[in-house]
Amino acid sequence: MSVTVTSKNARTDAQPPRLLGNISSWLALGIGLLAVIIFFTFASEDWFTIVNFTLIAAIATLALNVLSGYTGQISLGISFFMAIGAYTSALLGGTPPTSPLEPQGLGLSFLIWIPAAGIVAALVGALIGPTALRLKGFYLGIVTLALVFIGQYLFVNIPGITGGPQGRTFPVPAFGDFPFNQQNQLLGVAFTPGQQYFLLFGAILLIAALFVGNVMRSRAGRAFRAVRDHEVGAAVMGVNLFEAKMGAFILSSFLAGIAGALFASYISYVTPNYWDLTLAIQFVAAIIVGGTASVWGSILGAAFVFGLPQVIDYFSLLPTGTAGSLTSGNLNALIYGLLIIVFLLFEPGGVMGLVQRFQKLIRKFSHHDERKGGEPAEIIDLSPEPGYLDQP
Amino acid sequence: MSDESAALSRASHSITVPPLLAVEGISVRFAGVNALSDVSFSVQRGALFAVIGPNGAGKTSLFNVLSRVYQPVAGRVTFDGRDLLRLKTHQAARVGIARTFQNLGQFPTMTVLDYLLLGRHTRMRSGIILGGIYLGPTRSEEKRNRAYCLRLLDLIGLQHLQNQALGSLPFGLQKRADIARALALEPKLLLLDEPAAGMGSEETEDIAAVILDIKEQLGVTQILVEHDMALVMGIADQVLVLDFGRAIAQGTPAEIQANPDVIKAYLGEEFEQKDADTLSIPTDSSR
Amino acid sequence: MAYFIQLAFAGIAQGCIYALIGLGFSIIFKASEVINFAQGELLLVGAYIVSSAVFEWHLPFLPALLLGLVATVIIGLLFERLVLRRMIGRPVFSILMITIGLDIVLRTAVIMIWGSNPVPAASPFSITSGFTTGGVHLGANDLWTIAITAALCAALFYFFRYTKYGLAMRATALDQEAALAVGIDIRTIYALAWGISAAIATIGGVFLAIDSFAIDPTFGSTALIAFPAIILGGIDSVSGAVVGGIVIGVIQVLTAGYESKVANILGAGIHEITPYLIMILVLLIRPYGLFGTRKAERI
Repeated sequence: MSVTVTSKNARTDAQPPRLLGNISSWLALGIGLLAVIIFFTFASEDWFTIVNFTLIAAIATLALNVLSGYTGQISLGISFFMAIGAYTSALLGGTPPTSPLEPQGLGLSFLIWIPAAGIVAALVGALIGPTALRLKGFYLGIVTLALVFIGQYLFVNIPGITGGPQGRTFPVPAFGDFPFNQQNQLLGVAFTPGQQYFLLFGAILLIAALFVGNVMRSRAGRAFRAVRDHEVGAAVMGVNLFEAKMGAFILSSFLAGIAGALFASYISYVTPNYWDLTLAIQFVAAIIVGGTASVWGSILGAAFVFGLPQVIDYFSLLPTGTAGSLTSGNLNALIYGLLIIVFLLFEPGGVMGLVQRFQKLIRKFSHHDERKGGEPAEIIDLSPEPGYLDQP
Repeated sequence: MSDESAALSRASHSITVPPLLAVEGISVRFAGVNALSDVSFSVQRGALFAVIGPNGAGKTSLFNVLSRVYQPVAGRVTFDGRDLLRLKTHQAARVGIARTFQNLGQFPTMTVLDYLLLGRHTRMRSGIILGGIYLGPTRSEEKRNRAYCLRLLDLIGLQHLQNQALGSLPFGLQKRADIARALALEPKLLLLDEPAAGMGSEETEDIAAVILDIKEQLGVTQILVEHDMALVMGIADQVLVLDFGRAIAQGTPAEIQANPDVIKAYLGEEFEQKDADTLSIPTDSSR
Repeated sequence: MAYFIQLAFAGIAQGCIYALIGLGFSIIFKASEVINFAQGELLLVGAYIVSSAVFEWHLPFLPALLLGLVATVIIGLLFERLVLRRMIGRPVFSILMITIGLDIVLRTAVIMIWGSNPVPAASPFSITSGFTTGGVHLGANDLWTIAITAALCAALFYFFRYTKYGLAMRATALDQEAALAVGIDIRTIYALAWGISAAIATIGGVFLAIDSFAIDPTFGSTALIAFPAIILGGIDSVSGAVVGGIVIGVIQVLTAGYESKVANILGAGIHEITPYLIMILVLLIRPYGLFGTRKAERI
């Protein structure tokens, strides 16, 4: 009863979609690189500040996307994990106290405290995960919200690490005697603080983005999305729900911890109430505006929610002397609050969703559509595949 | 059904080969309803076993027990020599039980190819760390498995839709993709949950051909839950009839069609024994 | 001992405020399965409008209260009509987020209109009103809070049990499709739910304002304490919301009253997180709250 099929598109394309698959990707990369080099060479310190904040925010947004965007676990608690990372970095890298009233610090290198921030946050995530991830939907969201408040209470009450309600300073990354927050020379070329931080944050973001992108196009990423879309169905297909959720939670906490350490270091003096619900919600806004389950969406969302207010301030776009408090922060909050509503109503994919729609439209007009509609093949041949039934 | 297959199944009864699946006295209860009461049957390797019954008879509950979504309150299930009821939901796939879904639309944004790759989840090994690094073991794993899934898609006629989102496909193609996804697991037992639901007669014939191909060319044991009598009677080796959670008859399609209890269950009390030989469950497609 | 009773009384009053907010959440959730994160900001807007009406437009208290009620009800209805109705069938995350969006918009709007400095709360009572018995001062505000909450609960009980629309709301909460099938207009039910909840939120907000003497934009975060309250009571139980609110209120105030005694062990401010600790405890043991019901999942 076997007849061979003649399928028209016998393109057995076993290559996974590549990051730099075709000419246009290489071109885009080239242009992007050029833009970065121009920026790096000519931008002012103010602009570096704006971009550097965006870079760190993008790492945290990526972290939240891993947990909420890809795996569908509602989390309003990212600021808690950022704080854990920040205080780990402070403990390991902060200047050793000269008096008993000062908070602790071991003065270690940033090569230690940056990864440590991520690792400790991941460990805390591993501890909390089994309990928290038993809950679903709204309940998980509320517990993560509670985590933020409980965290704030804890941080205020351990002044030895956090400096108590007055806060503390955070370590500056440095190569030996050359801290990043002052101008340094390397091979006769002078690098401003902005440039040094840019290189550091950019490198970390690049590694994080590549890592997350890779995870999402492999087995684990598919499992995450299956968990998000339909847990029971995913389990029936063999996905271990607990492992998948824990994996996402730990990865997310790791990245959040690093982002927190970088934020605190860059701001340089932070009080415990910095790590509040408003901060967490800003990141949720970022993944919605930028696009859930998307690496580029995370970066765009961070640019919008964190970069834009600073741009508004820089250009003094707001009229001065307005009554009430029309600060850039408030205006931005109003905008992203409205954008959350608008995007969720009409384009849940965020800006990336809009981009993808746009791309589809272009593809429709530019070349012959390969989709051939839905007639099933009449005749099929299911000859046994080599090795099909060779399994333990 | 061909003579050889009939002879084979008779022969397999006479030689005591242990069945692939042995269900003994399964009872499922929730919300005060006895979804299944004391259901027993066994399925031979390579057989095409059908479960039929009126709506609410417990067919989906049975599938849920076999795919480890439900835990019965009583009974035993032995699969491939192991106690199935000790397994958790995600472990069912690992031991070779694949299941298609009755209601689709659970993964609307996933592409067809990704869906099949998801079906191969238990046949792949990369975790988060290896996946994040990607170069090396993960990349070759992805290549191998993509190739496998693309071949599978080609054979089932969906290769040209590999990058389409499942939600954008017509229902019949989604069903087909779902079967392909279940096959991607390389299962020992395939549970087909109403594969012909919502299909016209031509599509139903196609599905029947697919199911038979799976049986004859891949040798995969299948359990089929269906409402379409023509389909079931035409291709099944054995049929189990459920009614109100109880097994009321099991046998070959011919035996089932003549069984008075079955007739009563479908058509009501008025049709008793004496009408049994003049009446039988309609199997022609004109309905 | 008098101290304990004083605290307990204050706790009950505080709990009543949480109960009111929780009631608002619960009614909306039961009717439409939506968690309204913005409930706190409705409370905030209501309190601000009442204060503005009294101090800037020189209205007497009750008309000001009415104005606040009308304003928040309109906001609630508009949001329900323009936004939420289009979100039916969308995942929980999206709906939660869209109400968070409303929360952000409302709070920022309040800041932009009224500034972020505290604004005096409008109050029909003087600070010292109320009466004292046995060494315990029962403030007028607290008494009124408890009384009004009780009255509202009674009114809602009557509404749900004996009126046509109340019955329709309960039917919708139990099974939307069935309710549609018998001809209930779901849209009216949703509107009613949001309207009632907004009004209750405003009342709660006004009491909270009077209690705090001044309101500032962070007021809305008090409403978040209602989450532990409704989780304690069960998110789909209206009576549970009330019980949960009062329990949480009493525990919180008692903790605040006695926490200075354990400050060296527990540090400062533990009363702010006791509700959340209780909530986590409840979720560990009974994930659906004390009175809530488990939902079956279909495959």
